[in-house]
Amino acid sequence: MQYEGEHLLIGQIGHFLVLLSLVSAIVASISFYKSTQSKELQQAQNWLKLGRISFWMQALTVIAVFVTLYLVIYNHYFEYKYAHQHSKRSLDIQYLMSCFWEGQEGSFMLWAFWQGMLGLVLMRTAREWEAPVMGVISLAQVFLCSFLVGIYFFDIRIGTSPFVLMRNEFPDAPIFKDPSYLLKYLTDGNGLNILLQNYWMVIHPPILFLGFASAIVPFAFAIAGLWKKDFGGWVKPALPWTLFCGGILGLGIMMGAAWAYESLTFGGYWAWDPVENASMVPWLLTVAGLHTMLVYKSTGYSLKASFVFIPLGYLLVLYSTFLTRTGVLGDTSVHSFTGEGNSLYWHLLFMILTFSIITIVLYFVNRKAIPEIKKEESMNSREFWMFVGSLLFFVAASYIIILTSLAFANKLFGTQWAIGQDVEFVYNRVMILVTIVIALLSAITQYYKYKDTTRKYIWSNLFIPTVITLVIAGLISFFGNIDYDKYGIGFLVAIHVALWAAIYSTITNAFYIFKVMKGNLKAAGASISHVGFALMLVGILISSAKKELVSINRTGIAIPGLKDVKGKDENPLENITLIQGVPTEMGRYTVTYEADSAVKKNDRVFFKISFVSNDSTQGNKGKFYVYPNAFLVKGEKGMNLSSNPGAQHYLTHDIFVYITSWLNPDNIKDTASFQRYWVNKGDTVFYSKGYIVVDNILYANKHDNKDLPVVDSAWVSDLKIVSNDGRGYTAQPAYFVTNNQPSVKIDTVFTQNLLLTIGNAKEDKIELGIKESDAVMRYITLKAYLFPYINVLWIGVILMVIGFGVSIFKRIKR
Amino acid sequence: MKKLQIAALVVIAGAIAGLLTLTKDITTYDSIASARKKEGRYVHLIARLDKSIPVVYDPIKDPNYLSFQAIDSLGATTKVIYHNAKPAELEHSDRVVLKGQMNGQVFECKEILLKCPSKYKDDPTQQLKNLPNAVSSSN
Repeated sequence: MQYEGEHLLIGQIGHFLVLLSLVSAIVASISFYKSTQSKELQQAQNWLKLGRISFWMQALTVIAVFVTLYLVIYNHYFEYKYAHQHSKRSLDIQYLMSCFWEGQEGSFMLWAFWQGMLGLVLMRTAREWEAPVMGVISLAQVFLCSFLVGIYFFDIRIGTSPFVLMRNEFPDAPIFKDPSYLLKYLTDGNGLNILLQNYWMVIHPPILFLGFASAIVPFAFAIAGLWKKDFGGWVKPALPWTLFCGGILGLGIMMGAAWAYESLTFGGYWAWDPVENASMVPWLLTVAGLHTMLVYKSTGYSLKASFVFIPLGYLLVLYSTFLTRTGVLGDTSVHSFTGEGNSLYWHLLFMILTFSIITIVLYFVNRKAIPEIKKEESMNSREFWMFVGSLLFFVAASYIIILTSLAFANKLFGTQWAIGQDVEFVYNRVMILVTIVIALLSAITQYYKYKDTTRKYIWSNLFIPTVITLVIAGLISFFGNIDYDKYGIGFLVAIHVALWAAIYSTITNAFYIFKVMKGNLKAAGASISHVGFALMLVGILISSAKKELVSINRTGIAIPGLKDVKGKDENPLENITLIQGVPTEMGRYTVTYEADSAVKKNDRVFFKISFVSNDSTQGNKGKFYVYPNAFLVKGEKGMNLSSNPGAQHYLTHDIFVYITSWLNPDNIKDTASFQRYWVNKGDTVFYSKGYIVVDNILYANKHDNKDLPVVDSAWVSDLKIVSNDGRGYTAQPAYFVTNNQPSVKIDTVFTQNLLLTIGNAKEDKIELGIKESDAVMRYITLKAYLFPYINVLWIGVILMVIGFGVSIFKRIKR
Repeated sequence: MKKLQIAALVVIAGAIAGLLTLTKDITTYDSIASARKKEGRYVHLIARLDKSIPVVYDPIKDPNYLSFQAIDSLGATTKVIYHNAKPAELEHSDRVVLKGQMNGQVFECKEILLKCPSKYKDDPTQQLKNLPNAVSSSN
């Protein structure tokens, strides 16, 4: 059949480029392998040259694949499955890149792109390590490209091409019987998950994947060290790369946290979700490895530990990918990556096993030959405490990854385990102890010298920062109102201890820069990073312990006059319903749902919510507006709401609001009818929630009132509505007659669900129509949180990354 | 390496102790029938929304009260009460994981995880379902 309107050439080019990149990666791997193994110098050089050429080719083809896929998405070629599943015409242009990482193939492509770029840098800088390091990286590149080829090997499909056509993927679908299916039916795509339509999602995935990709560099150096039997020589050239990985991966993870903070609705930057954990564990191991590498470089200790931590860091990147991409996490994660089915499962498992076996075999073959110092470290030495800290990071990482793997264990062993009631606390109560020890270690360890340190030296330097800490931490502890007692006094004490330790670490490290290093910032990378890390801990501790639910609902319902017994004081419920125009007290604020946007751009509704501080001393400064918004997603039964929080940022705290429910008035069928009463001025009529007084009736007609140009006669009423809780409202429904044709002006009292009209009129008498209907009322249900001192966390992240950068710069210059 | 070994042992012992204390936090995935047998114990229930019974959620009356009927793959049903806002995609979900406990005949739910077709963008059967249908759209 000849199909109309398809653009097949670009896809064929794309698929060809994918195959070319795979082939050149294979050639590069073999060449670098041969070059490393060659005894003869000339031969090694020849192989190296071939390796370089093919790796360049590889990197360039990956870029070309990237561009090709971008063109497919950009031009809305919906005959391609990738464009159809992940984009649509109305998508803002800045989010077109986000379409890449929504899908499996695009993510692997991004990873391969970064790995290619890192390889190009390494070919220029790695010198004598080039061949073995590039051999490892090329092998990884072979795997990454193989995820994209989508070719059949007997009956098994290897990888998934991003250039497959819809009609080839779903040959049985009836629409493809029509040669002009593309012009008739596939005119638009499914669009991008709205959670990804956020500026953080444009920048967070590339940074995170650069972090993941860079984890291979220290790994490749470690393997190269074992391979070339130069067991310690790899450490020095690998150090800047380990720092790079630590900094970028850390930054990428925290950008993800910032995204979660701003656009996910679970009210925070970290939820111990498996996907978050899986990205954090490689970072912990890389940082542990970084410290043992530093120890080795300065003292000769901890080499074996580096050979454990650094490879584990990379292998855990692969394992994390496996956990999050194959759908094994299934029921445990709110993130929605799901499986390509079994093919990807085995494919990734094969990649993990390949690299694990290479590592384990090389390590155990060389185990005896790896140099080791027999004499043990002194307890007064820096290396001792650095090692203890690294070990603790390793233990923390193990704890996290074991719990995160429960779902995978269930799959393997057919069990049914899950973490129970309080997932966050299961992690937090262990991590708080880790925090205390790590913060203390990072506070004092820099004051130790390598090999041996006198007590006197340590104390003479630590005395002043210790005193400062006692004062500052004491003040915060006693006057900071940190009284998070949900988990009892023990946990509260632990929070305070951890806070003291984190503050101590901040101050000692800052002090170290200025006192011991005499303010030489270029050499102070480690201290800057430690200040940043400690500030992160301070920010995490304070903002988590003092996080406040603003929308506390103790009555179950915020509407005056109605009571509900379900909300209890000890367990306040989290949602409050706001009726348009009715100020509602919410903790320290009075909150009003002012309006919503009539214009639904891209099916998105904006809400305007005002907050007025109840603290009267603030005057007008205490008022601000928050604009949460929500996407309306088409569902089986009408529209569904997908909420996007609105926030008001202050230096010391943020206020977050998100809509949990919205009654779209357009969707309601109005079933109630008007109750009618003949009334005179001064009469009273009752309705279900109160009564209505007819304050006045103004009657006019053309004969005795010349000011009535348009209508013949008019009745305008002045109504006073008093609800059961004593609130008063007014309404002015009216009734006009022109040429014997009546017309009415209806008035409404939103908060009382009231629709008021005049159905008929005779001189000074009117027929008042009263309707009580949900359709009148506009309301939203929302949650609001207050996060204090979250900026301390973000400043900490920035400082930590700067510190990594300074250290890299220093080490490269050397 | 004596001191280091001691340090390592202490740390690892601590970790094992930490994992051991977990045992009381480890729960199981259950069917409705087996959750009934463990009344009062915190479990994860895998079920789906029973669409034959209307979902009760009226934010005007109480924004923190949701009730619906869940049915599991064995056909057992239970009423579920959730003291929080209704997840927007509840009616769309084809599977829900309910965390909470049986309380008499009612499942008191503390947390709901939804598995929605819209999330399964990479699932071929769902993709096929989402395709426009030639017969109906050409009408």
